[in-house]
Amino acid sequence: MMHRNIFTPLQRLLRRNRLVQTGLLGLFWTAGEILAQASGLPLPGGIVGMALALALFLCGGLKVGSVKRGANWMLAEMLLFFVPAVLALLDHRELFGLLGLKIFAIIAVSTTAVMCVTALTVDLCYRWTERDDGRSVVA
Amino acid sequence: MTAAALWREPLVQAAVWSLATILLYVVAKRVHRRWPRWWLMPLAVAPALLMIAALALNVSYRDYIRGTHWLVALLGPATVAFAVPIYEQRALIRRRWPLLLAGMVAGSLTAVATSWALAYVLGIDGELRLSLLPRSMSTPFAMEVSGEIGGSPDLTAIFVVLTGIIGAAVGDVVLARLPLRSTLAKGALFGVGAHGAGTARAHQIGREEGAIAGLVMVLVGLMNVALAPLIIQLMK
Repeated sequence: MMHRNIFTPLQRLLRRNRLVQTGLLGLFWTAGEILAQASGLPLPGGIVGMALALALFLCGGLKVGSVKRGANWMLAEMLLFFVPAVLALLDHRELFGLLGLKIFAIIAVSTTAVMCVTALTVDLCYRWTERDDGRSVVA
Repeated sequence: MTAAALWREPLVQAAVWSLATILLYVVAKRVHRRWPRWWLMPLAVAPALLMIAALALNVSYRDYIRGTHWLVALLGPATVAFAVPIYEQRALIRRRWPLLLAGMVAGSLTAVATSWALAYVLGIDGELRLSLLPRSMSTPFAMEVSGEIGGSPDLTAIFVVLTGIIGAAVGDVVLARLPLRSTLAKGALFGVGAHGAGTARAHQIGREEGAIAGLVMVLVGLMNVALAPLIIQLMK
């Protein structure tokens, strides 16, 4: 099997190199963008690309190992991609001052509330279902 | 070519600002690992230093973002990357999705209600108040919803990032104070409250937390884009 020998180094590269794997994630994103545009759905291309990748993992068309290193790398450094967006503040000088302080307070208080409500809802439901699970195991 | 002309060259500008952004982020990350204080977060320190540099060199946001937009665009492939942890946690998610749904609905309602009420109390109204409502979601979703409900997508993008910075810090405090038993609750808190930045933080806490935060972030975004027309009806 001649072509097997040609492809093995390629496969090894895909399994080991996180840059190549990141490129593969980029391909999924591009496909997602194209699909989202073509279908006219109000969905970001990244989400469509993620759905595509998940579907391929689930049906066995793509091994998780082929993108895992790249994906972990991207996720670990994701905060970097938000940094340039913060500089948009330069165009909104009105936010430096009392108005900015008010907005900071709103975001801080609201986000704290959101986090507490979400976490408590999930955790209380969790304890509740755990208790039920425990009972059914006993029964 | 003189040095000044070279400096004005768009390609040079792009390279310089991209390098500066990455370098400051890496340094800020090292500093934060050495001294883990919330106000030393890379997402707060790096932009602050860049902003000072831009102001000092009289560089506008448009000039800066023209050269660094490719970094923001990498959020696309980064979103795809969430497929990996979500796939790896699929058994947990299949078993526990009703809990996550309950948390998402409760969290989203709290986000909209508290933002609206606090803005009202502090006398912020009109476009600015509407722009604050979708800020818990990840940027692409938030901008979509903001436009639909009559806010400014541009302002919303700023609020989304601020929510991410504040949320990643607040999340640690909430996590330390609340007696949470499940990793499910810990992940959902970051995913619903502080989108991608929160998810990145959750990912640093644990793989499971990160996977749940990523999934919840995506689902909350989808849910809100679908529900936005309903919210508009309610507000009329």
